Amino acid sequence: MATAAIALVVLFAAAQMVPFEHPPAPDDGDLIAPPGVKRILAAACYDCHSNHTRQRWYGRVAPVSWIVARHVAAAREHLNFSDWSDYASDPGTLAHKLDQIRSSLADGTMAPWYYRMLHREARLDENERAAVAAWIAQATAGSERPAHRSR
Amino acid sequence: MFSARSTVFAACAALLMALAPIVVSVAAPEPIPEIRLEHGRFQPGELVVAADNPFQVRVTNHGPAAIEFESFELHRERVVQPGETITVYMPPLRAGTYRFFDDFNHATPQGAIVAK
Repeated sequence: MATAAIALVVLFAAAQMVPFEHPPAPDDGDLIAPPGVKRILAAACYDCHSNHTRQRWYGRVAPVSWIVARHVAAAREHLNFSDWSDYASDPGTLAHKLDQIRSSLADGTMAPWYYRMLHREARLDENERAAVAAWIAQATAGSERPAHRSR
Repeated sequence: MFSARSTVFAACAALLMALAPIVVSVAAPEPIPEIRLEHGRFQPGELVVAADNPFQVRVTNHGPAAIEFESFELHRERVVQPGETITVYMPPLRAGTYRFFDDFNHATPQGAIVAK
């Protein structure tokens, strides 16, 4: 029993040595939205869906740090608000991303329940959801010419 | 030997011939390359484009189900219904390989856009 406990402690300590990181990435152009909407999305989504991830204490402790790093990397691949102007350079992609945000907020799949449990700011009330939905409806109503930027 | 009228005519003809390539290049835009989803794979699997120039790509879905044409590297994500053709606007790309895939069906082999 004591041996097993010591082994666990050693294993836990060793796990802390394994490096993890949220790879640094340049901002390719942050979200363009009214300040109120941007504040809501930044509070609820940016930890995973932008290059501005705030490190929490538990995110520095292995093995949670590994899970968080993996989760953030996957989240950024699917939607990264720091790449917004890249999305906007293809109107179809922009419309698709906006629709995904709309539907995931509407059906409650975003932010995930376990994130909402830990982060009060990610629990959006009806007014906040309505503000985001109104912005999306307005943004998708107009057509936008693609603006090309070098990669 | 030559009348003034024929000299002017010859000058105009020469000017037109000199400008013809420019006029043709303006009138005939670059063809838009196409990527087709056929028989469960993207064709061509590798599309070569010129680096550092914006371009467009047509994506046509010849399959029986909707696909999601997606590229993490290009930051593009579009749904293409069966029989539909969409146009995807691409930014100028640095030389390199940019993979794309069908996010609705990961069994579909990935394709790539190669900028040279």
